[in-house]
Amino acid sequence: MFELDLRSRKPIYEQLVEKLKVLIISEVLKTDEQLPSVRVLSTQLTINPNTIQKAYRELERQGYIYSLPGKGNFVARVTRDGNTERLAKLREELVKILSEAIYLGMKKEDIIKIISEVDVMVRGGEK
Amino acid sequence: MIEAKNISKMFDDSAALTDVSINVKKGSIYGLVGSNGAGKTTLLKILAGVYRQDQGEVLIDNQKVFENIEIKSKTVFIPDSLYFFSQYTVKDMAIFYQRIYANWNEERYQILKNAFQLDEHKKIQQMSKGMQRQAAFWLALSITPDFLILDEPLDGLDPIMRQKVRNLIIQDTAEREMTVLISSHNLRELEDLCDNIGILHQGRLIVEKELDDLKSDIHKIQAAFQGDQPKKIFQNKNVLYHEKRGSVRLFIIRGKKEEIIQEVSQYQPLVLDILPLTLEEIFIYEMGGIGYEIKNIVI
Repeated sequence: MFELDLRSRKPIYEQLVEKLKVLIISEVLKTDEQLPSVRVLSTQLTINPNTIQKAYRELERQGYIYSLPGKGNFVARVTRDGNTERLAKLREELVKILSEAIYLGMKKEDIIKIISEVDVMVRGGEK
Repeated sequence: MIEAKNISKMFDDSAALTDVSINVKKGSIYGLVGSNGAGKTTLLKILAGVYRQDQGEVLIDNQKVFENIEIKSKTVFIPDSLYFFSQYTVKDMAIFYQRIYANWNEERYQILKNAFQLDEHKKIQQMSKGMQRQAAFWLALSITPDFLILDEPLDGLDPIMRQKVRNLIIQDTAEREMTVLISSHNLRELEDLCDNIGILHQGRLIVEKELDDLKSDIHKIQAAFQGDQPKKIFQNKNVLYHEKRGSVRLFIIRGKKEEIIQEVSQYQPLVLDILPLTLEEIFIYEMGGIGYEIKNIVI
């Protein structure tokens, strides 16, 4: 289903939470779809089952999944426009990148031009 | 559950363990790390009922371990240096264990034959070090123990075998809630396998924590500031380590990530990187904190 970066410094449980969130927000995992059991996932990824259990509990706490006793974990109804967190992060990154570009001498007009080009590319040029 | 309460052990005049308490929950994989000669093997041998402690209490499933047949038949200990009867093949050992362990699972033994691809009719002592380890795991996992105690278990196995063995251990933990206690120097390896970590040093347990808590509690910060470094920074924080590398400062700090970011931001850093530490780094800085640190010796 997905791969974890075992060499990353980021704790595995955090990586799991993030990966699953992305899958849920992007609707790869649909509402009410059952998540793989702790047992299956831990064997597939060779990850400690308690770590996976912990990630599931955290996702449940954040409202991304719900659990039915004896049945497993399921994707909760998530408001898909709830990308606020990700957007805030992107904004932060943009500021960082733009600051560097301006510092290195890129002109405001050039940046605006890039933005319109990307806009055309993504939206297919609709006006 | 494996529990040790205030264990002490002396060998002649030297104290191997002093007042050590550990707690391994059911279904958990517990990593025991420590400096050389810290007492890891001694502790494991006491928990497995090979040695008897001078003081304290060792309980597995709330029962005393030493000379307790019921507990021992549910426990498998793979020691650092393996022991097999001379002239015995894997098959001979299997027949021997089958008679001793009530939970011996013949079906599993046959399935695992494919996993390990060893010749069961070859004498174990004629096998290579790595193959002997494989034989030990093959036999151990066929016993389907509730408690698995491993001393430097993956030493001498090739990368593919390591992964295979780890996967087998994880399966048993996930499916039967097997409780596992592992000692190792290979911290990278413990990092993905364990949920709890204990650090031993000179016979004392200096840290026992959930791995994720251990990691989220300590941070590596690289920062550069305009002009001189603000003097007051991190005065109220627990700074384990501090270093200047040119104009970049490196801090190892214990505390909450948000609080640290907040404090640094006040001084408007030009560069700010916050990284989680690897288990290896945590080990090094924890040890540094108690005077066992890396000092490069120039010859």
